Amino acid sequence: MAGNLYLMAYNLALVLGWGYCLYLTIDTMILKHGSTADLWKVVELPLKVSQTAAVLEVLHSAIGLVRSPVGITGMQVASRLWVLWGIVNLVPEATTRGAVSLGGPSLQLQLGGLSLPLQLNLATLLAAWSITEVVRYSFFAVKEMLRTVPYPLLWLRYSTFIPLYPIGVASELSMAYLALPTIRKQHMWSLDMPNAYNFGFDYTIACYIIIATYLPGLPQLYFYMLSQRKKVLQGAAGGAGAGAESKKSR
Amino acid sequence: VYKDYDACFSFSQTLHKLLAAQLISSDQDNTCTCSVATMKLDIVARSGRTLTTLDVNPDSTVAELKKKFHIFSRKYYPARQRLTLPVKPGEKRGTVLDDSKRLSDYGLTDGSKLEFKDLGPQIGYSTVFFWEYFGPLVVYPLFFFLPKYLYPHLKTPAQHHLVQKLAVGYWCLHYSKRIIETFTVHRFGHATMPIFNLFKNCAYYWGYAAFVSYFVNHPLYTPPNEKISMACLGLALVAQLGNLKSHLILANLRAPGEKDYKIPRGGLFNFVTCANYTFEIWGWLLFSLAVQSVPAYAFMITGALQMTQWAIAKHNRLRKTFDGKDGRPKYPRRWIIFPPFL
Repeated sequence: MAGNLYLMAYNLALVLGWGYCLYLTIDTMILKHGSTADLWKVVELPLKVSQTAAVLEVLHSAIGLVRSPVGITGMQVASRLWVLWGIVNLVPEATTRGAVSLGGPSLQLQLGGLSLPLQLNLATLLAAWSITEVVRYSFFAVKEMLRTVPYPLLWLRYSTFIPLYPIGVASELSMAYLALPTIRKQHMWSLDMPNAYNFGFDYTIACYIIIATYLPGLPQLYFYMLSQRKKVLQGAAGGAGAGAESKKSR
Repeated sequence: VYKDYDACFSFSQTLHKLLAAQLISSDQDNTCTCSVATMKLDIVARSGRTLTTLDVNPDSTVAELKKKFHIFSRKYYPARQRLTLPVKPGEKRGTVLDDSKRLSDYGLTDGSKLEFKDLGPQIGYSTVFFWEYFGPLVVYPLFFFLPKYLYPHLKTPAQHHLVQKLAVGYWCLHYSKRIIETFTVHRFGHATMPIFNLFKNCAYYWGYAAFVSYFVNHPLYTPPNEKISMACLGLALVAQLGNLKSHLILANLRAPGEKDYKIPRGGLFNFVTCANYTFEIWGWLLFSLAVQSVPAYAFMITGALQMTQWAIAKHNRLRKTFDGKDGRPKYPRRWIIFPPFL
């Protein structure tokens, strides 16, 4: 076999996990005309398993199995886990039912016979995350198996982020927007002084700090990915086939 | 005309100056008795592009070579230059040239290539140490002396608890000690470090100082048993003395100018490779036990993790150097940093 058997298995398993999440999203929201609450009922477990499994990637970096920088991988995984467990799952009444509207009720997306209001909600979050992850893990699985990646997959890996990254980030921030009023009111996940630990922690403030540190990094990251795209796709189109990727399997 | 006057002149100070001058003024055959065969060295960038070719004397030092390169490119002062021999098969990185060694020590000859790397803007080690330790010395007491401003939403108690007073005293004593050591005890292996480290290190020390101090000096701080706290801080002071003694032993390991590794001996070093870190960790552990505050424990654990990383590297370096072969002593069996764990 060309690459590491364990990594192949890991990446394939996650393609299946996220693929299932994507299927559930399309099935519930479009085929069955369901609500985001219906979606959460079915996708909750597969999503939690697939996303939480990503902590293994930090381990892979740390032990050198994979050549990603531990710090960056850690931050990306931490950010996803915070949104999933610290926002969506913490206040599901607000996050799995609410939405942030873009442009008012008159603005609708026509999809075949279906009218979808233009809004950011759990479904847009799931769509952005699961499409991105299916592409990403397929890419790494194929790379591990064949040592090279066919151009269509390379193209997907370096192009789908263009719409999905902004949609994903906007959806994550929307989830926080929906959850924070409740988090603040109920003083969730917080510790007040005085106590035996001589330590205090206000989760609401922590969330605001996380969001504040999020924001400046986003345009930087987006433009970095755009420049990587140019380099990789031009290189691949120019040279014989694809596979000349400087980033490493996760 | 004495063609090699320049080469001879750069060779070594007054003696050659005199010799060369003598030779010029004489009518004799104009050959210098000193070795003036110069050689050309290609200084190459990491991309492979030759930056410049320098004409040097094989007996000159790496430091002198770096001075010449600095003349070629004013931007890269010697402390910013890293010169390496070409990478040999099996090596991750080419051998780094040491400033004090001669070019001939590395077997460099005419036409040899050296790889140049820009280490980025550099700043002195002692400068960084001073600023990173000065922060905590100032920041921690702020929360002790100015609670009305730093906890504006809370009522300030009339008096601090004894533990809080002792804690601020211990903290300031610790960082004063560190600053004094920086200028009187420590001998740094390198003169400079990248300037980015100044901000990184200061963020760490100043940040943690504020984090620990905010909670220990908090108006709603709950003090633990006074007697136990006093005992712990007393023992922490003993640990600081141990740490100071360790630093003095380390400072005296090398004679001025010596660059080689030595086996540390004396005090706790007979049992632990990085005895200085052992005492430091004990100091912060005892401080945490004295104040009973999660941020203090967090500070101790973070420091211990970093020191452990350094200690493992140092321990392995010493074991590799002192392998017992070719007349070299064998590095004794020792704990790395914190018996009985590592």
